[in-house]
Amino acid sequence: MADAGLIALSAGIAVGITGMASAWAEKEIGSAAIGAMAENEKLFGKGLILTVIPETIVIFGMVVAILLWLNM
Amino acid sequence: MLLPKQMTRVLIVGSRNALKDTIEVLYQLEAAHLIDFSAEEEGFSLGAPLPESSVASQRLLKLRSLEKDMGIDDEDVSGQMETGQIEMDLASTIDGLEAEITGAIESKNKINLRINELEADKAVLQSFQALPLDLELYHDYDSLKVFTGKVRGDPSALVKAAAPQSEVFLSGNGDFAAVFVNTAQADEAQKALVQVGYTEVPAPAGPGSPQKHVAKIDEELEALRSSMKEAVDKLDELKDKHSTFVKAADEHLSIIVEKAETPLRIGTTEYTFAMDAWVPTSEMPKVEKAIAEKLGNRAHLESLEVMSRMEPHGHDEEGEEHAPAKVEEIPVKLENGKTAKKFEFMSGMLSTPKYREIDPTSAMMITLPIFFGLMVGDIGYGIPFMLLGLIGLKKCVSDEWKTISTLLFFGGIWATVFGVFLFGEAYGIHFAEQAHDLSWSSLLGVQLPHELVLGGFEIPLGIYSKLHSVKQILYMSVWIGIAHLFIGFCIGFYNKSIRYGMKHAIIEKISWLMILVGGALLLLFVVDFMILGKDVALTDIRMLVAAVLLVIGIGMAYKGEGSGAILELPGLMGNIISYTRLAAIGMSKAGLALAFNTIAFEVMWGHDFHVLGSNSGDIVMLIAALGIFLVGHLTIFILAIISAGLHSLRLHYVEFFMKFYEGGGVEFKPLKVIRKYTIEKNGVSE
Repeated sequence: MADAGLIALSAGIAVGITGMASAWAEKEIGSAAIGAMAENEKLFGKGLILTVIPETIVIFGMVVAILLWLNM
Repeated sequence: MLLPKQMTRVLIVGSRNALKDTIEVLYQLEAAHLIDFSAEEEGFSLGAPLPESSVASQRLLKLRSLEKDMGIDDEDVSGQMETGQIEMDLASTIDGLEAEITGAIESKNKINLRINELEADKAVLQSFQALPLDLELYHDYDSLKVFTGKVRGDPSALVKAAAPQSEVFLSGNGDFAAVFVNTAQADEAQKALVQVGYTEVPAPAGPGSPQKHVAKIDEELEALRSSMKEAVDKLDELKDKHSTFVKAADEHLSIIVEKAETPLRIGTTEYTFAMDAWVPTSEMPKVEKAIAEKLGNRAHLESLEVMSRMEPHGHDEEGEEHAPAKVEEIPVKLENGKTAKKFEFMSGMLSTPKYREIDPTSAMMITLPIFFGLMVGDIGYGIPFMLLGLIGLKKCVSDEWKTISTLLFFGGIWATVFGVFLFGEAYGIHFAEQAHDLSWSSLLGVQLPHELVLGGFEIPLGIYSKLHSVKQILYMSVWIGIAHLFIGFCIGFYNKSIRYGMKHAIIEKISWLMILVGGALLLLFVVDFMILGKDVALTDIRMLVAAVLLVIGIGMAYKGEGSGAILELPGLMGNIISYTRLAAIGMSKAGLALAFNTIAFEVMWGHDFHVLGSNSGDIVMLIAALGIFLVGHLTIFILAIISAGLHSLRLHYVEFFMKFYEGGGVEFKPLKVIRKYTIEKNGVSE
């Protein structure tokens, strides 16, 4: 069994960095989507979809973290 | 029910003198979506508005400007008026009202102007009040130049030095000065003044002391203010008296103008008219009957084509439609029951469905609240959500809030169900006695059962704990994702089959269904092998079936969609993993709840709060603990609306809809009028 502290740290890094990555990506898309919505409100649905697409990154990170945690 | 209403394309032709009656009949039927006439057809030209439109437009213009002047809002209107009554009063009232209101507003503006003038004068005079000179002393000198104005410091010394033949008067607080200087030395004096920040304020004309003038202005101001009040009162009175009429007349005239301008969308010749329209097939008999009865042989309705769901232009191998020749889009009239209608806004937020595809609202109605409930999964939040939703449904008017309330209500029901049976918890605390955790049983000192025995069946209360059965919940959410996507592909298969035929549907959608099922079998295998650590052979039946399904599926998808299909494979896996957010969000909520509960109970009972009564605590600590408990759970409650609501919506929009939904349809907008302030009734009855 590996060191529990190291595993916990790795899990934290997995979630933290992927979280930052999706936040950064969503920021870029989100501001563009808001800009588009200001011109045409009907784009809300499409804007929302495009904005949340990078969220998958953090979900992957979370799955990795959970797998690590389960192996603790 | 799932597909939009079937539409029939109709052509109505008639003699031109029947045009007005035809429009009237169509407005009454509320079943015809007019197709705008494109001025390309030979022999036809765009119709002219009916004669009543110009008078009505002019009156409408006047009314609207009156509305603006009076500042009428929707709240000022009480009750509805009959159109006959409006028609009777219109001509006389509008002109009278206009004269009255314009008069009142003009006098109000005049008074306002005069008040502003006087106040400016008064401000100037007040500066001069501080100097001991009468106003006539500032004017009419031959050899003297007078400077009056604001200064930032005492200019006496500077002025005296620059221009010895001068006299300086300074106000008590030192910010206003009058300088009398010999004309010959005026330039030097002015330069000296500029050094102390001089800005000129010309002296007002007139004899007597400034005080006297200020008193006179005050008197006039008072008189003006009282007449201002009168003018405002009069306007208010006019507003009270006429706002209902003005709003009702506005609506009535708008409707007249809208109807009278309908011919602008219709093709006409010198003696005839022809209009294209869409009518829901189910309403055709009604429309045919009404036109035959009310218009006789002056107009004729011809049913051209009942639109099938099949694409008229086929489908090429690349999976893209041929760019069709310009075909009018068939309007979409959704057909949903009372409950599903409440979700229409949510699917519409993405896009209106096309005529040739299933309206996803019904599917969304079922799974959206389930996902929401699964993520919340706590009776402590579920019941408040339900109540909040119920109140919202009763009180809210706007579509947005109604939709949110609907989601909260149905989501709350599911959250309660999952909270009781699946997770067995309230406010993050389990009902039944737990090994390491706090539970309601230990908190209340009552033994709550682990399961409910009903007529011989044992119904468990709480199978999983969100924080201790992570593996199971994660696994469950993946399977929910697979099932949800399976439904999505099935709907996609149906959509393709009605649009392009069975062959295309099989190649494009059955292929993906096979890949999905193959992947699911593979998942079972991998879980056994890697996580449970079972010894399984590579020739396991699941592995073999999965391999066969995957190979055939990918082959078919490649044939149907080209190399893009290969690129979409990891996307499908991403879609499935995306559903693990169902577990993740539930977990994060449980984690937050645990944190707040721990803080609150430690405050109340100290560190050994697992052992009740170890430290009974005093009343202040009890209140503090209760405060922490309330604020903490309120935070989770509000976060739940945002996270659970938005994420379940996202799972539908991004993962689910992408498997079948195209959208981009045109909404069915029949000719009809909506009356808010008026009742259609001819003739007067008082």
